[in-house]
Amino acid sequence: MNLKRKVQPEIRPVVLKSIPDTELFRLKNGVPLYLIEAGSEELMRAEFIFNAGQIKENFPLVASTTNAMLLEGSLNYTAKEINNAFDFYGAFIHQFAQKDSSGITVFCLNKHLEKILELCCEILFRPIFPEDELNNLQKKRLQSYLMNKQKVQNLASDKLFESVFGYSHPYGKQVLAADFKNVTTDKLVNFHTAHYTNGELSIIVSGRIHNETKAMFEHYFGEHDFKSGIPDKIDIPINGSKNKKEFIEKKDALQAAIRIGSATINKRHHDYPGLLILDTILGGYFGSRLMKNIREEKGYTYGINSSVMSLNQSGYKVIATEVGKKHAGETLDEIYKEIRLLQTRPVELREMDVVRSYMAGEMLRMFDGPFALAESFRAVWEFGLDNKYYYNLADKIKTIQPDEIIGLAKTYYNIDDLYEIIAGSA
Amino acid sequence: MIDFKKYNLDNGLRILIHEDCSTPLVAMNIIYDVGSRDEDPEMTGMAHLFEHLMFGGSQNIPDFDTPLQMAGADNNAFTNNDITNYYLTIPANNLQIGFWLESDRMLGLSFSEEVLEIQKKIVIEEYKQRYLNQPYGDIMLLLRPLVYKVHPYLWAAIGKDISHIEKVTMTDVKDFFFSHYAPNNAILSVAGNIKNHEDVISLAKKWFGPISRREIAVRKLAMEPVQKEERITEVEKDVPSDVLVKAWHICRRTEKDFYTMDLLTDILAGGESGRLYSSLVRDKKLFSDINAYLAGELDPGLLIINGKLMDGISFQAAEEAVKEVIEDLKKIAVPDPEIEKVKNKFESSMVFSNTNVLNKAMNLCFYELLGDANEVNQEVKLYNRVNPEMVMIAAKKYLQPDNCSSLHYKSKKSVK
Repeated sequence: MNLKRKVQPEIRPVVLKSIPDTELFRLKNGVPLYLIEAGSEELMRAEFIFNAGQIKENFPLVASTTNAMLLEGSLNYTAKEINNAFDFYGAFIHQFAQKDSSGITVFCLNKHLEKILELCCEILFRPIFPEDELNNLQKKRLQSYLMNKQKVQNLASDKLFESVFGYSHPYGKQVLAADFKNVTTDKLVNFHTAHYTNGELSIIVSGRIHNETKAMFEHYFGEHDFKSGIPDKIDIPINGSKNKKEFIEKKDALQAAIRIGSATINKRHHDYPGLLILDTILGGYFGSRLMKNIREEKGYTYGINSSVMSLNQSGYKVIATEVGKKHAGETLDEIYKEIRLLQTRPVELREMDVVRSYMAGEMLRMFDGPFALAESFRAVWEFGLDNKYYYNLADKIKTIQPDEIIGLAKTYYNIDDLYEIIAGSA
Repeated sequence: MIDFKKYNLDNGLRILIHEDCSTPLVAMNIIYDVGSRDEDPEMTGMAHLFEHLMFGGSQNIPDFDTPLQMAGADNNAFTNNDITNYYLTIPANNLQIGFWLESDRMLGLSFSEEVLEIQKKIVIEEYKQRYLNQPYGDIMLLLRPLVYKVHPYLWAAIGKDISHIEKVTMTDVKDFFFSHYAPNNAILSVAGNIKNHEDVISLAKKWFGPISRREIAVRKLAMEPVQKEERITEVEKDVPSDVLVKAWHICRRTEKDFYTMDLLTDILAGGESGRLYSSLVRDKKLFSDINAYLAGELDPGLLIINGKLMDGISFQAAEEAVKEVIEDLKKIAVPDPEIEKVKNKFESSMVFSNTNVLNKAMNLCFYELLGDANEVNQEVKLYNRVNPEMVMIAAKKYLQPDNCSSLHYKSKKSVK
């Protein structure tokens, strides 16, 4: 057979067709229930999101501890009973306390949905924060905190947040070991009352949705009376550190962790899709310039990447890697060299094509299946945006031109604005 | 339930095809029946280093990744003690690109010296990043040689030592390729938006069909002798807290006991309601966290318990408490609701795993490697067959002190 292996078979354009719509259904008490019908298995993913992130806490660790304590005992069930029940019904529960929001995500088979919703209602609205469980939990959390402080990558990342947002901003505030013992039941109860019981709840549901699904959510979450739902718009000023460069000593570390980044725009800004494309070229995929240069050409690292993240009151970008300690200096030089190149030399068409196709493929994956759909919905919904954002992004991926990328690199990757953090052995 | 068709090429390549049109993507997975157990004891880490080289260009195609990115695909691979597994997901209309690339690297690699030198450096940085420069990162590197004395499971897939990776030459690479990478030593699965099975089979015939069979190195692994006495080793490291690791030899992956041991492990540590967590973390407050899992090897493998001690708790107290939980399994039949709980958990893990075509593609290949891809649909039945008596018998059979090795991973700071 005369097979021409050197000739690449034709590549067809990758096209994102329409994104499935999300249905908004309001429960009697006004709680928005977002429903995404997807997948062929009889299962459900339900995410309960409260406006109760670290940005709302007055004392360190209160938001995350309140969240972690939800499974540690409620009015009607002990911690053991709660955990046993979730496990018995084969449900998976993920608790989260992020910078802007907190909540839980549960995954379960539809045949157990009702029981699981009853449990969720119980743990979200009737936790009792038992003292004994709290003490035990804090000991565990302190241990894992101390372990994380031994990792160069955490030392560098934590410092970057502090430098970029300032030590007094909730996004930049650092937790100290001493903070763990200062978390009291009172503080948790107060936080829970203000931001869960009287807070703002939204629910995102995806999977196989049936006629009775809405009624079940109505039954468990539609009766609760959220007192005020204080719509607070606290914009705390961001005062980044004066020191652009920091070195954190970690004795005997074999590798140095490097973090370079700064505050930036978030998804609400019209330049954001372009910035995502620029970031992808720089360090956002396996074929990115940083991966090619630092990993594939020089072999200094197992991996290097850059990313852009959105927060409610800001955004940030970060370049992250761990490199053999003797290569740290040269790696920094190369990172800045790559940024300057993006600011001065137009990206060639061939590379543009690769990035366009890769990102178009990623967009297919972002809407593939019930879990990905829910995550992608949440990622725009929390910024008050909808699928238009994704259609814009898809369009920008197709149409962006090299000169626009130069402009974005100059505006958003000004080297003088960047913080440079290194954690490693001297 | 994963519905699939099986097809064998004349050169020995086995192909499994599963249709799921709820996704615009197709997942392609290839298992090569080679892992770190097939390595020369003086050149460990070779199978994993080789996996890196598979991305460094093939006989006719200089660059593996760029065409995939152009086709909107995503890809990666992993190596463990038993297998090397390559996977990609690609928009359905570009599936042929996957066949073109995967078949060419099965045919032959670029065998470039430059690629070898760079990938050695990258793997050494990976070694540091994942195993040496992390607190507790070297636990498995220490545990394996304690538990295994002759079977090649005594080293981890990353290798015994960085020096083994450093000394690999191009001759070693070529030998490794031609004795392990071949259609008759591989299984391919294709799962996802496939409108017509025949199209996939034609693609497979076109791209993989012309690759000749190769002579595969005969696997002659030393059988691990039965362990006759308890082994304990202690290390002291700069870590924040003490960790206790215990490992027992168990059966092969393909033996019926495997399912019993898997459920037994879930009874011990399936979620926070597991016995270890419930008793030793919640009630007795001896550990801050504790877990149990099957290492998942194909040859006789391990049940491993890994627990982090609370400050001020001695290894002796920790050992005794773990022992008590284990002895309970031998003395008292597990109550029915507890068995039902772990079975339910298994059932829902299966359903969740099946929401993703890549998981389905990987599972099909893996079960075919075990002997028959059809077994993937028998799993629920096999787990459901397990009863309290079987758990008790298995606990008595495997969880003996003489069959156990323990690692006391001590924090330098702890003063006991």
